[in-house]
Amino acid sequence: MTGQILPIADGRRTRAWLGAELWQRKGSSAVTLAAGLLAAGASIIPAYALGLLVDRIRAGSEPGAILGVAVTIVAAAVAGGVATGVAGHLISRLGSRILADLREQTVATALRLPALVLDRAGRGDLLSRVSADIAAIGRAVSEFLPGMISALLLTTLSLIAMAGLDWRLGLAGALSVPLYVIGLRWYLPRAAPSYAAERVAIADRSQLFVEGMQGLATVHAYRLEDRHRADIETASARARDISMSVFGLYTRFVGRINRAELIGLGAVLVTGFLLVRSGQVTVGEVSAAALLFHRLFNPMAMLMATFDRAQDAGASLARLVGVLGMPVEQRDGAEPPPGRELALDDVSFAYGDGPPVLDGVSLRVAPGERVALVGSTGAGKTTAASLAAGILRPDRGRATVGGVAVTDLPASTVAIVSQETHVFAGPLADDLRLARPAATDDEVTAALARVGALTWARDLPAGLGTVVGDGGHALTAAQAQQLALARVVLLDPPVVVLDEATAEAGSAGARDLEQAAAAALEGRTALVVAHRLTQAAAADRVIVMEHGTIVESGPHADLVAAGGRYADLWAAWSARS
Amino acid sequence: MSRTTKPGAAVLRRAVARNGRRLWAGTVLAGVYQLCAALVPVLIGVIVDRAVDTGDVGALLLWIGVLAATYLVLTVTYRFGARNLQRAIAREGHLLRVEVAAKILHPRGLRTDRRPGDLLTVSTTDAEYTSYVLDHIPRVTSALVAAAVSAITLLVISWPLGLIVLIATPIVLAVLNLTAPLIARRVADQQEQAGRATSLATDLVTGLRPLRGIGAQDAAAERYRAVSRLSLAATLRSSRTQNAYQGASTMLSTLLAGGIAIVAGWFALTGRITIGQFITVIGSAQFLIEPFGTLAIVPSWYATARASADRVAGVIGSGLVLPDGTAEPDEPACELRLTGVEHGPLSGLDLHVRPGEFVGVVAHRAADADALVRLLAVPDAYEGTILLSGVPLETVERDRARRLLHVEPHQADLFTGTLGSNIDLRADGGDHLPRALRAAAADQLAGLDTPVTERGTNLSGGQRQRVALARALLARPPLLVLHHPTSAVDAVTEQVIAGGIRALRHDDQARFGTVVITSSPALLAAADRVVVIADGAVTAEGSHAGLSATDEAYRRAVLR
Repeated sequence: MTGQILPIADGRRTRAWLGAELWQRKGSSAVTLAAGLLAAGASIIPAYALGLLVDRIRAGSEPGAILGVAVTIVAAAVAGGVATGVAGHLISRLGSRILADLREQTVATALRLPALVLDRAGRGDLLSRVSADIAAIGRAVSEFLPGMISALLLTTLSLIAMAGLDWRLGLAGALSVPLYVIGLRWYLPRAAPSYAAERVAIADRSQLFVEGMQGLATVHAYRLEDRHRADIETASARARDISMSVFGLYTRFVGRINRAELIGLGAVLVTGFLLVRSGQVTVGEVSAAALLFHRLFNPMAMLMATFDRAQDAGASLARLVGVLGMPVEQRDGAEPPPGRELALDDVSFAYGDGPPVLDGVSLRVAPGERVALVGSTGAGKTTAASLAAGILRPDRGRATVGGVAVTDLPASTVAIVSQETHVFAGPLADDLRLARPAATDDEVTAALARVGALTWARDLPAGLGTVVGDGGHALTAAQAQQLALARVVLLDPPVVVLDEATAEAGSAGARDLEQAAAAALEGRTALVVAHRLTQAAAADRVIVMEHGTIVESGPHADLVAAGGRYADLWAAWSARS
Repeated sequence: MSRTTKPGAAVLRRAVARNGRRLWAGTVLAGVYQLCAALVPVLIGVIVDRAVDTGDVGALLLWIGVLAATYLVLTVTYRFGARNLQRAIAREGHLLRVEVAAKILHPRGLRTDRRPGDLLTVSTTDAEYTSYVLDHIPRVTSALVAAAVSAITLLVISWPLGLIVLIATPIVLAVLNLTAPLIARRVADQQEQAGRATSLATDLVTGLRPLRGIGAQDAAAERYRAVSRLSLAATLRSSRTQNAYQGASTMLSTLLAGGIAIVAGWFALTGRITIGQFITVIGSAQFLIEPFGTLAIVPSWYATARASADRVAGVIGSGLVLPDGTAEPDEPACELRLTGVEHGPLSGLDLHVRPGEFVGVVAHRAADADALVRLLAVPDAYEGTILLSGVPLETVERDRARRLLHVEPHQADLFTGTLGSNIDLRADGGDHLPRALRAAAADQLAGLDTPVTERGTNLSGGQRQRVALARALLARPPLLVLHHPTSAVDAVTEQVIAGGIRALRHDDQARFGTVVITSSPALLAAADRVVVIADGAVTAEGSHAGLSATDEAYRRAVLR
């Protein structure tokens, strides 16, 4: 299932995407950058002014000399405060807006990926991209990226300011930069695998917790308490040990950061000492340089400590940009079909390079007719249904409604309900409105009533407003399938394909579901893949498939009388109940 | 003291006590580290004053050497201090997690009204937050050390300056902290909205096939867009608040440090302090902001740890549902007898399962079946008697009770592993394994080494049900209770299973008893006897064929 993974953008494409996003918003990008520079600049001024003050003190100036410095500092503090707030907000606003567009495009793309692509890649990868990756970038944008950008601007401007005092002071301070980089290059490759191992260990631990707690009745029934507790203890101890060893690594990284600070600070002071001795800079300028450099310690440490998280966010970004570049299914035909007849004309289909699953299948369902498709597992029924619904495209031949290829018609022309049900999380009525967002309350109620679901839906704790699905009120498999049928009623498509839509409910709910399905199909052209032959018996016509071809076709009674393949199936079915 | 304190305080005290050595070693080292960090700006002032200003090479070498030595101590104390503390925190978190897990998994059942999701939070997040109390103690200590050093330095240099710093800094921090609740609220709102967007994306992609089936991708994308925009708005609101705070905090702390520098500069200009002292004052005043900030925020951290500790203590201190049973009824052939049982919707239920009997139960109300199953698994809070081989069920030693009377939960919980590890739980199935698989119609599923993902989500409902059934059959309990075991299985397979159970558990030698609560005609036909429960009590009894022929309500309930 998961042989292939979804694409991941390379560094160049990710950067190009980010560049394009910023360019699209060039006005606000420029304003943001200006505000950031202003904030960093304003925070440098007080150190400068204090350096000036040192020189005035040494020169034995009048006490009144304080005035100019004082005004400068206060003005810089006020301007710096305002600029810091504004810049911080602008940076996170820019980032959040880009992120919002990114996540919406990613989800929109994910929802329109062709069925084949998704089946091959498996849903797990896509799910982790639309949830974990988007959340990771979201946290980056709201928690540490703005701080990192500010720290970067401050560092750059501070080094420039130090160089402005004297280029050799700037150079002395810049000496620490390669040391920081060396520290990072020492730390990152060692930490990354440990952090990955830690995440795995923590995931294992929480999985054991979740399974143990949600399966508590089973744990008790099989007396697995001790074993489960021991497993949790082992997993928890492993996570603990890994986090201890990762942290040991981190403290050594901090040691390297401290070393960079010491060497940079020492270099600034010694350089200053030499320059003051040769009369090239003043004591005040050296003081200013040392103060500027000392102020960088915290932002630099923050930059270092969050660097790996930024890298992770970059990796998540590459995975999202990878999805954005994928081809999506285009079903943008706007014209409804001229007729309601469903037809497959000499259709063949194979999955990838595999053997043909369908070989020259032709069938026709007249407007309003209900045709059942039966046959053993692997006969190609589901593939035929998917082709009829436009979810797969035939390799050869055509699937049409009213003579127009299904894939050129609006997606709402043919609805398909398979045995895979899903109750969308949220109020029950909202689940149904996915089929028709503008549906009124009366229409929603009527759709539920049509499939016989209104009684139980009204009995839910908050009626149609009850939150159902993941984290909400749990519905049975049969109820979930009734909802799927109610969605079809609300959508009101001319053609409906049911692919064993009543199977998953199991034996207990099958009868009710069959009635619901019959109600939902009323008046529509319908192709029903039937695994319970009672459905076939109730259809206008039955088509029997074997090994990718049609072997029999006709009304139930005729086929039973003919004594062929269908008659055998029917005899087996009738014998057991 | 012990009577009035909340249980959480005891958990916190125990955390401190059982990590004493590491905690105090770490705290002392962290204090020394802070001391060194506070010394750095002081040393900058000294070097400028004694060396840069004088041009004295000896002084330069001496004081740079002192700076280097300070850094050495700083690095070493950080490394070992932080490691000690982190080890203590990791260890305490682990101990709490395991303790909470053991309590939740207790065979006699935890008496709690918390939902599984809540319990999960307690055992993970709350255990972790509780252990953070070991982080708060050294932080407070070292903040106090740093504040004291800076304050003393300032007071020694100039007492009026020192006083200004010591009074003004807490005031500024207190003012800034007034906004903390608002920020917390906005951030919580932001996180909640982001969480909603994430769950919606997950939900929509999970339901992609049904969505595609009705061409609802556009509607789904639009729905996600709406939630995403709400999340964006919440993020921007939160960003405005946080950055307004950030701006104000930058402004006030710069004004504070600048104001102190200006006063110090004035003192220096008027000759009250030297240049070196002036620079030291600037550095120390700047440095002081951090420890004061820590001291200001610690109460809210502690409140979080305390709240988590209260929840942890709540679980650890919860009572157990079942008594500590000691009875040991007969082993090989078990008999179950319920007489006049009242529990929830059950009112006066009588049910007798003889050794070796296969009994089908049809419940007209699902609630009756649920109550019966719940009661047999956890015999608590009921009237009447439930006797297992003549002994009240709740008094039987738990392990033995569950081995003799196995109640298979309807929801078919599977665990991460393989099909084999889920069915043959103790890897001792031997020859019985293929027979159990066949009886549960699970022999046609994929191979036993097929992986099973978390909670069996990679299997369909019908597959999960058959795996769970094979597991229950392989356990070979003397008495087996199954609750709608084939509700997600098709009719053909159902027939196979009915025959399989009959052959495996009720052939001539075996004296196993089986109770199947079901509405499946195939299973009911295979049973020796069918009992019908309506309105909480038994209303009819007989063979499937007999009841089908005479009882119209029964026919409606089981007809396919």
